[in-house]
Amino acid sequence: MSKLSRRDILKMGVGAAAGLGFPAIVRSQSKEIVILGLWDATGAFADVGPINDRGMRMALEERGMQVLGRPIKYITRDGATQAGTSTRRTEEAVDGEGAKFVIGPWSSGVALAVSEVAKRKKVLHLFSGGTEDISGARCHRYSFQWAASPYTAAKTVVDSFMQANPKAKRWHLLVADYAFGWSVEKYIKEVGKAHGLEFVGADRHPLGEREFSNYVQKAAANKPDAVAMINFGLDAVSGAREIFNFGLTPKVPLIMCWSSGVEELVQLSPEIRENIWVGSNFYYTADTPVAKEFVKNYSAKFGNPPGYAPSAAYSMTRLLLAGFDKAKSAEVQDVIKALEGIEVNDIVGRMRMDAATHQNIRPYFFMRCKSKSAMKHATDFADIIATGDAPLPKEHAACKDIGSF
Amino acid sequence: MLYALMGLGLSLITGILNIPNFAHGALFAVGAYLLVSAATAIGNFWIALLVAPLGVALLGLAIEYAGIRRLYAAGHDYQLLFTFGLALILSESIILIWGPIGYSHLPPPILRGGLDLGFTFYPKYRLFVMVMAGLLVLATWLFLEKTRYGAIMRAGIENKEMVSLLGIDIHKLFTVAFALGAYLAGIAGALTVPIRGVNPGMGVDMLGIAFVVVALGGLGNLLGAIAAGLLIGVAQALVAGYWTEASTVVIYAVMAAVLLVRPQGMFGIR
Repeated sequence: MSKLSRRDILKMGVGAAAGLGFPAIVRSQSKEIVILGLWDATGAFADVGPINDRGMRMALEERGMQVLGRPIKYITRDGATQAGTSTRRTEEAVDGEGAKFVIGPWSSGVALAVSEVAKRKKVLHLFSGGTEDISGARCHRYSFQWAASPYTAAKTVVDSFMQANPKAKRWHLLVADYAFGWSVEKYIKEVGKAHGLEFVGADRHPLGEREFSNYVQKAAANKPDAVAMINFGLDAVSGAREIFNFGLTPKVPLIMCWSSGVEELVQLSPEIRENIWVGSNFYYTADTPVAKEFVKNYSAKFGNPPGYAPSAAYSMTRLLLAGFDKAKSAEVQDVIKALEGIEVNDIVGRMRMDAATHQNIRPYFFMRCKSKSAMKHATDFADIIATGDAPLPKEHAACKDIGSF
Repeated sequence: MLYALMGLGLSLITGILNIPNFAHGALFAVGAYLLVSAATAIGNFWIALLVAPLGVALLGLAIEYAGIRRLYAAGHDYQLLFTFGLALILSESIILIWGPIGYSHLPPPILRGGLDLGFTFYPKYRLFVMVMAGLLVLATWLFLEKTRYGAIMRAGIENKEMVSLLGIDIHKLFTVAFALGAYLAGIAGALTVPIRGVNPGMGVDMLGIAFVVVALGGLGNLLGAIAAGLLIGVAQALVAGYWTEASTVVIYAVMAAVLLVRPQGMFGIR
């Protein structure tokens, strides 16, 4: 048997110290609050995930990655803009990493599937998107909707546009064919009744559509007074570009009913943006103290103002942290109770989380794009011309009983 | 016609090198981004349209010479994996160089606006693309059918060993074929810019359609690629006129229907 060297003894000593210290590490890890950011790095919203992550990270860093005196462990997973991948990775993060708080994803259809995981695994889920089902027909205690209700959005867009263009009563709709598109379309038509709108056409396109020429030809043939698009991201950018190429805009106004704002507008040339009207959950010139501070910090860090995606992630994270503060607890059910009915001033202004439906009651923004000559700088895309926060009328509310834990 | 252009380039590479080039979509995207950069730097769309695809052809030349050529001995699977990896590298490089968010680029002033064709209003630039892509397809076909080197290429598709035994440098043939395929992808990408703008995912969107065109026409069959490209484009336009929701799915439905009847594709023999 060989003799132990001084080096071997030192190694064993380090190993023993590490072994003995291990329970302490486990104890400190158990104090961590694990929050999952489910953001897409691949798939249809691959371009959005990284900027969602920026916003969420900024909100956590503002608090020094701590809440209630405990460290926050922020983990992210790529949901791939697919329900199967997103639900599987959420479950893995919950079971494997101990995540009890989930924010995301970005697609409404995928979020509905993740919401079911949250209900089954009893973890808190915050989401921002256009489906009304999370705070409607499929509501439950564990999921919350940060974005304005599709009704609030539709009412703000239609009322504000008609106030500026009272004669534009013949509308052609281009609708993304999934949960978000259907929800907003339903309320655009509902609110439109009060203004006597005639919908001369309504075409649905699949998520990820890039060839809009055929849709636009149909729209042009209907000779509408306005074209309204209910789609998002690259779909909206592709549609707006083609509507310009076919000569509809700027003669015919184009309404982007549910836009990401900056992220979409920056992809369109100023000539294409002329006579485009934009509804969005956030625009960076929002006149609120929180927005001003966030926009200043975000612009300094990334060189451009934030759009809806990073802003929603930022505000949802702040809302979750406000829930911890109010609950003075990091237990899921305590935080949920704290968030129900919570009122905060945040980037969009006054927000109140409706306890009965888990729908955020908050302002929605309506902008008009500026002409090239009126732009003061490269990202001076639009002016906010109206905001609206009309909540979903009770007769339309599909969340009759949000249930128990 | 753009589909035909993409399919023709991919079919050329698939036919001669006998590998499905998964980087073809990425080359399409590089062509688009090079056009935007060149047009912005030079200030002239037409010169940029000339330069951008040549840049992609040079890139194709380098890819074949420095990468694929070294893997001929390693076997088919390695070449396939190489083009797949290359597609990922090119896509990520686009994000690193040009950023994750896309943007628009307007057509040259002379091609802005549209023409009233009586039954419909059609953008001038789209008409230009149709004519330009048609001429490119015709020129490629004439090159392959009427020139000696084109005949060697077609012979290479049929029987590489025989061409090699006749004393023709088969490696040079492979390099030229890959560069020509890359050029066609690059010019298709460049022509697309004023219609679809640029974004990092644009190559992936087009790659699927290019493979449909190649499979539909018959693997490695050049005439088949042209016919299939036109068929897909016409089918998509017709269906969208009556049932817009089905305008994407029709691409794959047509492929499935044709392959059920003719598994080797419309013009394929293997």
